[in-house]
Amino acid sequence: MNHVQLPPQFAFLEPFVDDWGSLATQDERYRKRQDLSQAKLEAFHAALAPRLEEVFTYLDTFDPAALPAAEALLFRVVLGLTEASQAVEILGQPRIPHAPYPHTVNMEWVGYQPH
Amino acid sequence: MADISKHMTKACDMSLGNAFVPVEYYTSPDYFRREQDMIFRRAWLMVGRMDEVPEPGDYIVREVPTLKANVVIARGKDGQVRAFHNACSHRGVALVCQPRGNTMTFRCPYHAWLYRIDGSLSAIPGEQDFPHVDKAANGLAGIHLDTWGGFIFLNFAQEPEVSLSQFLAGLDVMLDGAPFEQFPFCIRVTDEIDCNWKNLVNAFNEGYHVAVLHNKTLRPAVVPKDNPHLHYLDVKQFGPHSTGTVQRNFDYNPDAPALTWVYAQMLPTSAPDLDAIKQGRAGFHDHPGINRLKIENFGTETITVFPNISIQPLANGYLFYQFWPISERRMRTEVRIYSRHAPRTLREEYAMASTLAATRDVVVEDMAMSRLQQIGMESGGKTHQQFGQNEPLLRMFTRDYEAYLAGAAM
Repeated sequence: MNHVQLPPQFAFLEPFVDDWGSLATQDERYRKRQDLSQAKLEAFHAALAPRLEEVFTYLDTFDPAALPAAEALLFRVVLGLTEASQAVEILGQPRIPHAPYPHTVNMEWVGYQPH
Repeated sequence: MADISKHMTKACDMSLGNAFVPVEYYTSPDYFRREQDMIFRRAWLMVGRMDEVPEPGDYIVREVPTLKANVVIARGKDGQVRAFHNACSHRGVALVCQPRGNTMTFRCPYHAWLYRIDGSLSAIPGEQDFPHVDKAANGLAGIHLDTWGGFIFLNFAQEPEVSLSQFLAGLDVMLDGAPFEQFPFCIRVTDEIDCNWKNLVNAFNEGYHVAVLHNKTLRPAVVPKDNPHLHYLDVKQFGPHSTGTVQRNFDYNPDAPALTWVYAQMLPTSAPDLDAIKQGRAGFHDHPGINRLKIENFGTETITVFPNISIQPLANGYLFYQFWPISERRMRTEVRIYSRHAPRTLREEYAMASTLAATRDVVVEDMAMSRLQQIGMESGGKTHQQFGQNEPLLRMFTRDYEAYLAGAAM
């Protein structure tokens, strides 16, 4: 029941909402990266990486602790790039060579609730 | 630095001739049991930071999986920090059920025995039925606790053989005043792996693998042209503990738009802050016990605290790695990425999440290799590992490991 829409000026990220928009933790993003093809990760990276500054200039105008639904969705999609960029810019593949698959890692921000 | 090679500490420089190490140390249940008794029940074990319990009433619960210990660390009304086994004196329930919090009393959820924050037993419901129980002698069971540099250490011996300072053997003196407290915020990364814990200890004690295993992740940033096998420089030993200096490529500038954007928001933990260095506010950079050679491309000091800790002070924080054996072929890794502060903006949250992903990927590479190493060793075709002249800290760890197992004085 994902009826929340991205802010209209960021509709170019619409194709990536299904993959990244509902993920709530870094580990879920790490797991998603392992299951997407490199081509899909590259398409996401190509669409978003050059426009990160534009996205955050927009998000700067909101209180980080009280993001409206559309902006919260936008930020969740954008956080997906923290994992996708590792595959695209660093590893050249979705999974870490020789690591178990599927692989999960517990990541806890102590005293801070990440988006 | 004209010729860095003269600072590359070799095993022979440290009189470490033990090049061959039995695979049995890494595969035998008997060795694991001896490690539990002769190392982990004797050594001081680092388990946290004082700033995790800053106020009276603050507590945390920590597991020490090697000993199956569940430990409450709590700051009393008097400001003193104490450690207890998390076990009710009545019938043993692990009564503190939250991972952290603030309270002045702990109440057992089974029969409501009540303890003060200092561990003493305060009340027994229906006390008339426990005439044989001396409340004064039935507090939570204490564990020896001491601190250095803001780090909390526990000792599980009835009476520690040596004080924490004696145990640290001068490492504490050399690093006295290192500004760990400037970096109070941390992200904890934990995972369990099918391998012997010493595989990971060893991985953090040599740079030889970095150009190969971390070819895509770390190598471009840290392996310099004049040290292609990333020899640790200027290795110092303090009892079983050690430290060595590691370089970095200050001109690392990847053609990577997302990473470049991150650098512009908030430098990753490891990336040099050239302005801060010039202005003398670069955290660990100016401490006299760190980068003693004053190399210009200083990356980190890799500090190994026996038996299971590696700490790496970096440009904008530090990394803390801990390796707990669970059996001879299973271990838990905890990595903490320490920074100056929690994210203040969404830009910073993105940047820190990116650094988290990058750091985790490097550690996962090490963990993946340690698992393959375990498979190979357990296959049984080889009786020994062999450590090179460029792996002096592996030989040193093995020497001290053997001494502990043999019961030598610390």
